[in-house]
Amino acid sequence: MTPLADLNGKVVIITGATKGMGRSTAVLFAQSGAKVVATGRSEADGAETERQIKEAGGDGVFIRQDVCEEADWARVTEEAMSRYGGLDIVVNNAGVFMVKPIAETSEEDYDWIYRTNVEGSFLGLKYGFEAIRKTGRGGSIVNVSSLMGQVGYPGATAYCATKGAITGLTKSAALEGAELEPQIRVNSLHPGVIWTEMLTSQFGDDQSLQDAFAEDTPLKMIGLPEYMADAIAYLASDQSSYVTGTELTVDGGRGAD
Amino acid sequence: MSGELEGKTAIITGGSRGIGLACAEALSGAGANVVITGRDVARGEEAAKALPNQARFMQQDVASDEDWTRVMEATKDAFGRVDIVVANAGVSSFFTLEAMSLEEFRGLNDINLKGAFLGVKHGAIALREHGEGGSIILMSSVMGRISAPANTHYSASKSGVRLLAKAAALELGAEKIRVNCVLPGITHSDMTAAFDEVAMAPAIVPQKRFGEAKEVADAVLFASSDRSIFMTGADLVVDGGLITR
Repeated sequence: MTPLADLNGKVVIITGATKGMGRSTAVLFAQSGAKVVATGRSEADGAETERQIKEAGGDGVFIRQDVCEEADWARVTEEAMSRYGGLDIVVNNAGVFMVKPIAETSEEDYDWIYRTNVEGSFLGLKYGFEAIRKTGRGGSIVNVSSLMGQVGYPGATAYCATKGAITGLTKSAALEGAELEPQIRVNSLHPGVIWTEMLTSQFGDDQSLQDAFAEDTPLKMIGLPEYMADAIAYLASDQSSYVTGTELTVDGGRGAD
Repeated sequence: MSGELEGKTAIITGGSRGIGLACAEALSGAGANVVITGRDVARGEEAAKALPNQARFMQQDVASDEDWTRVMEATKDAFGRVDIVVANAGVSSFFTLEAMSLEEFRGLNDINLKGAFLGVKHGAIALREHGEGGSIILMSSVMGRISAPANTHYSASKSGVRLLAKAAALELGAEKIRVNCVLPGITHSDMTAAFDEVAMAPAIVPQKRFGEAKEVADAVLFASSDRSIFMTGADLVVDGGLITR
């Protein structure tokens, strides 16, 4: 991971920062000089993220949040504003994943995945817009969609539906954000196969599976959370000042196939 | 930020003005040795001299296979290796179908599409020599995704470049040679100097302004560096939201 100079002094909320991509992103942003509000449901994992931020010499705090809860969003944005004096960036990273054939996917399964992935991102945009507007410096929101928000995957109907929704949500919000003065940019990131707990919880965590995914990827490698952190940093920073409404795919080439 | 391309060598076609020059400045600023190529020798020499790091200008017609061979050899002579190729050189014009001669159609596609093909081909050969992989970036355009009247040749060339990049990404991935496209929207440059920003931008660009060449160069820098080590076959759109609505 390479620190980005132009995140210096920016205040960022990163959801799902208790592990995986969210944690890597939180640490990279902190190394880049951003003030980081890392959120998630697990206190223990959140404390570890906060420890890693401080170990990296960064400024950041963990705040407990369930992204499905509107009251949590109101509390987290208020705390970010009062602690760090404003808000510039939101990374809507929190997400859940499930692989199940359509006929076996229950309404409860669907609601669970939909609420976190779609409503969680919607609320992040809504409360993020409000806080960034109040701050008055403009800003950037990065929504973590997936390659599965661009192409299908067997046994992932519900997940693909939610990630596709994030792709569309992003474009509409980008047009709305461009009407504001100062503007708020909104883009989506589309990771391919990234080796995190979200993935291993469904597919299992063994070397042969990792090798199989790597073999199936044009770059012949597995994705790591750090790679996604670099892409999120690009979209969040002023380096992408003329980038809005776009889909950035970082997937080792899988989507080109 | 500075130094992330230390020890790398980049070739940028059409690098003496506009977006290409901004790319040369960004990559040179990040520590790369830079070779800029183009047709106008005086302007090219001047541009290379002004770059912050080691740089050379080499005259090149990007549609010439021979020229690519010569540029690659000269670059290796000067800097020892090639790590990054930015196939940026491009031209634009407007003709309705009936007014567009085959010569015009072919002339533009020779530079925009064949130039990109030769860039990927010679880039891959040169990057293979050291076996450490690298990054090839093709300058497509939002016109590779949407279109406009009187622009069939340009749209054909720029959409062709997008799929060329994806095919090359699949073919070269195992060697860690990444191939990505950057798709600028309407960007301040000689190519768009005749466009009326005050009238056009608020009507068609959500961000209500044209882009700066540096904003495109920042995307090229991201695609050049190890910050995008897992990215290949991708489109980086830098258009102020132009194709979003």
